[in-house]
Amino acid sequence: MSENTLFITENPCNRTAGRPVIGLDDLILTQDAATSAGSKMLAGFKSLFEARVVERLREAGYDIAGKANIGEFGFDFLGESSYFGPVVDADGHLATATAKLLMDSSVDAVVGLEVNGAQARSAALAGQVHLKPTYGCVSRFGTVAVACSGETVDITARSTEDVQQVLDVLAGHDDADGTSLPARECVRVTAAGFAEAAGAGEAFAAPITHVKVARGLMDAADADTKQLMEAAIQALSSEGVDITDMASETDALFAVANLAWNILMCAELCNNVNRFEGMKYGYHTEKYQTIDELYTKSRTEAFGYLTKAAILYGSEVLATGNYERCYDKSLRIRRLVSEAFSNEFARGASAGNTAGQTAILLPACAKRAYSLADVEANPYLAFEENRFTAPAAITGLPAVTAGGVQLIGSAFSDVALLRLANILPADCAGKEA
Amino acid sequence: MDRDALLGLERLNQLALTPEEQDEMLAFFAARETDWESLAQVDTANVERMVHVRPMVNVLREDVPAQPFSREDLLAQAPESMDGYWQVPRVLQ
Repeated sequence: MSENTLFITENPCNRTAGRPVIGLDDLILTQDAATSAGSKMLAGFKSLFEARVVERLREAGYDIAGKANIGEFGFDFLGESSYFGPVVDADGHLATATAKLLMDSSVDAVVGLEVNGAQARSAALAGQVHLKPTYGCVSRFGTVAVACSGETVDITARSTEDVQQVLDVLAGHDDADGTSLPARECVRVTAAGFAEAAGAGEAFAAPITHVKVARGLMDAADADTKQLMEAAIQALSSEGVDITDMASETDALFAVANLAWNILMCAELCNNVNRFEGMKYGYHTEKYQTIDELYTKSRTEAFGYLTKAAILYGSEVLATGNYERCYDKSLRIRRLVSEAFSNEFARGASAGNTAGQTAILLPACAKRAYSLADVEANPYLAFEENRFTAPAAITGLPAVTAGGVQLIGSAFSDVALLRLANILPADCAGKEA
Repeated sequence: MDRDALLGLERLNQLALTPEEQDEMLAFFAARETDWESLAQVDTANVERMVHVRPMVNVLREDVPAQPFSREDLLAQAPESMDGYWQVPRVLQ
């Protein structure tokens, strides 16, 4: 690992002057660099094949700078659970390798896997731009599976334009990904596809003219974050965007969306990491008497505490007696949250902006900075502060984060969301002030 | 969730927590019980489960044999190999 704890593996020679440079997070498989998923279990693991997104980036002329450090299996708060250590600023603030690499201009963008909002939070804290695209528009073939029903390949960059440029390369159907949408739908999130759809008058390609504020979640944030939200509201309003509050019943559903997402995410993670038992992949313990001991010692020694908590919780919510009230309940709440979004988007259109579409504005996290002490005092922050990112995760809707505020739109509104984020104040949009 | 139930869960998932970790985990599960009570307040009667976030149909490829990786590549993945096979730790006496 590099001394700066940012890259797990780095390819300093793999750069050509003038070519854009991409960092990959450590859940994306590459052949020329190890993929460890931030875990001792996979430390040094070399894949036989590359993720589809890596193939697409290489074909499009991007250089791959290396694998950025992330928290174990990418579902923690801000990378604090990485086997390779957390990334902490000189002032003691918790950061992510993604944010630091972009700040240092080591890369032009970072492509990763957004599982539980860590990259959205990171971008919000660093004033960068993050996109979690519409689920199914970017192939997840060749990513380390964690919580498949909600996770998406994501993009973080310094500007909305840079994000769009990378998205144009990544979006597209892939036969190798069972959740990949048809090509005619994937193309909607590209600039070219969006322009064509806008010409044809398709609803998802209309500009966003109405923004609804998730007041419940805004009230859960601190004063500085509320100030950013107010600045965003002001900027959007001054550009002619209608601003209203989201319905209180939607607020109430958003308040439990993360509880349901925690259940789904942990259940899926529990199943997905079951394959890591000390034999077929990665780490295995040295001393054991029986095969059961081999499995148990390997998993116990290789997984961090948060991953163990997620495995045990995921197993418990799937157990007979809990399944109905936990897992099954969460799948039904997913539908309620999804329908609530649809109602909000539809009500926006009927409020006088029939030509435009509606987005939801909410914070991406509760504070403007977190220290390592915060996650040491509460190791489960990832299960609590994901209240801001779970509504998009559990529904698969696109979300753009820019400087402390987050915008969630209807399916395939990715381009419209990025354009809306572009009219936020310079510091909010993550652009150079 | 009590300690015995937690031990059962650990065995099921091939994990072995330390006593300190068990204390912490029991507190974690107690907090999740509160989450379940909050979820129970949400009326989901007559609400269908939503497994996939987008409408999806299962797509199967043609049933044609393929060999995506060579034997050499696959053997190179293992810590040890012998005579063209993976060599694994002894697990039977």
